[in-house]
Amino acid sequence: MASSDDKIFCSIVVPMMNEEESVTPMHEAITKVMAEWGVRYELIIVDDGSSDRTFEILSTLAQNDACLRVVKFRRNFGQSAAMAAGFEHARGEYIVTLDGDLQNDPEDIPRVVAKLQEGYDVVSGWRKDRKDKFLIRKVPSKIANRLIRKTTRVSLHDTGCSLKAYRAEVVQKIRLYGEMHRFIPGLARIEGARIGELVVKHHERKFGKSKYNLSRTFRVIMDLMTLNLLLKYLTRPLHFFGGLTVLFNGLGFTTLAALFYGWNQQYLGEDELNVLVALAFLLFAAGINFLLYGLIANSVVSTGQKRDERLYEFKSYDRNSN
Amino acid sequence: MTATAIRNHTRENFDFTGAHEAAGESNGRAAALPKLSLIVPVFNLAEETVALYHELRAGFEAHGESFEVIFIDDASTDATWLHLNKIAKEDARVKLIRMRTSFGETSALDAGLRHAKGERIVYATARVRVNMSALPQLLRKMDEGHDLVVGWRTPRQDSGLNRLVSHGFNWLVERFGKLPLHDINSSVFVAHREVLENIILYGNLNIFIPILAARKGYRVTEEPIAQKPGAFRQSKYLSEYIQRLLDIITVIYLTKYSKKPLHFLGFFGMIFTVAGLAMNGYLFTYRILGYGGIAGRPLLLLGALLLVIGLQMISIGLIGEMIIYTHARDQKEYNIETVIGA
Repeated sequence: MASSDDKIFCSIVVPMMNEEESVTPMHEAITKVMAEWGVRYELIIVDDGSSDRTFEILSTLAQNDACLRVVKFRRNFGQSAAMAAGFEHARGEYIVTLDGDLQNDPEDIPRVVAKLQEGYDVVSGWRKDRKDKFLIRKVPSKIANRLIRKTTRVSLHDTGCSLKAYRAEVVQKIRLYGEMHRFIPGLARIEGARIGELVVKHHERKFGKSKYNLSRTFRVIMDLMTLNLLLKYLTRPLHFFGGLTVLFNGLGFTTLAALFYGWNQQYLGEDELNVLVALAFLLFAAGINFLLYGLIANSVVSTGQKRDERLYEFKSYDRNSN
Repeated sequence: MTATAIRNHTRENFDFTGAHEAAGESNGRAAALPKLSLIVPVFNLAEETVALYHELRAGFEAHGESFEVIFIDDASTDATWLHLNKIAKEDARVKLIRMRTSFGETSALDAGLRHAKGERIVYATARVRVNMSALPQLLRKMDEGHDLVVGWRTPRQDSGLNRLVSHGFNWLVERFGKLPLHDINSSVFVAHREVLENIILYGNLNIFIPILAARKGYRVTEEPIAQKPGAFRQSKYLSEYIQRLLDIITVIYLTKYSKKPLHFLGFFGMIFTVAGLAMNGYLFTYRILGYGGIAGRPLLLLGALLLVIGLQMISIGLIGEMIIYTHARDQKEYNIETVIGA
């Protein structure tokens, strides 16, 4: 299946933080699966500022395994940064990401890559039979997924699954920042990627404890707002902010018109009119402000990312080779 | 630029970008790269310039590591530049940079860094009047395995107000930046060159270098250094204190949200929006149910105003996110210590 001998077919990226118990079994499992599959691969483990023996174990493992590469951060920079670093160091044609806690099954790696080859740019795992606590993990995840589906219009059942496969050229286009690793399919979608999903196995957590908590909900909502704006209005932000202008100025106009035509006389007292006029002017001022934001956003976008940097397919067949 | 650099003492205007540089007497010897680069911004020091140089020289010659001194004259209007030239003529280790006009200490540090050849940088501005000959003790602290050591001015010789402001500032930094240092903004520190090259400098960010370095994952610590007796200083302008107050906001923003503006602005924006909606919702219900008029209720305008401000904060947060998405593509969010199997 490997295209040529010297090129790496598949890069596996695993972010890890304080996973000293999982390192060795994880490495063994992946090595076994990849040996059976028989493609040229590399395993990139990003040590996201572990304070335990994770890096020590990794460096010992790396001495005897030419396929293992370890990237060590100076401190904990978060999962998005770890993934971004992994992507940057990946040299394979395809990139697969896994969680560092053994909850994903490495045996699914060949399957997601095969799915990718069917013509997708991103394939996300779907933990249909999820082995996590119902109330604190499954329920919030269900709600979040529904919200993400609605805002990003990427119809995935399980965006939170770490097992994902990407074409390298797609992933290198994605701008992964902040805590956006949760929405990589959405980010890929901004660049025009085709996205698929595949049911994968999910195991219970054997070692360590889960690093997620409910208090991240607010940041997730904020990130979703950003993603929504980027997805729909990145090339035309004035349409977004202009919408607010129309809303506020519309309200202002309605108020003034109502007062002018005397629709209010049977409902409102004399002094209430004065207050409403002040309110109408406030709404006008606000509306104009939003218009100005839209204009600034337009300049921001037009001086930034070029549209031709987005994904498109360009094929040129070499007549001699075919 | 080598030791055979252009020497031009008569020329008053030296380019900020460092195109021109006055180097010490060239003996034609190809000097080995110095281990240390001392970057010292000076401004209107007059006669004290010479004393400062001797202090530095005494301290670092006793320390033993090879060094160079880069004085940055931030467009002094007195004899400072002449004194510096006299010093540079006699000591080949001294390099001079003169700004065309006063650009401030961040630019001075930046210009100094561009010309520094040492592995370790010693930065101390003449303004804070620490005992320059004691600087090598920061280097010895660094040898214990730190990447950046801040000089903690103690005992402080400054005015009570200065000390109070500084104290409050450091307390906030400790709270928000989780960096337990006493004197972050001392403008005296030593660091590996790599640390400083990894930090983008602008504005007056030089006083935040320890925070920025810690955020990049470098090991940051402090070491006491004495201020010279009689170094009493009081800010001349109220604006200096106001600036420091605004710097506190910068610290909070830098340490927590610089890459996620909406997490910061969205939080306050949401609070304002929700409060505004609640107030006006209450008044609306009140009016509809006929409990009375709302004309005499300032709550109406307050609610509307809060709603508008809240939405504006969220909008600005969103614009911030757009800027980061479209303009900060090459900025890495992480800092790698080692790669095995590259």
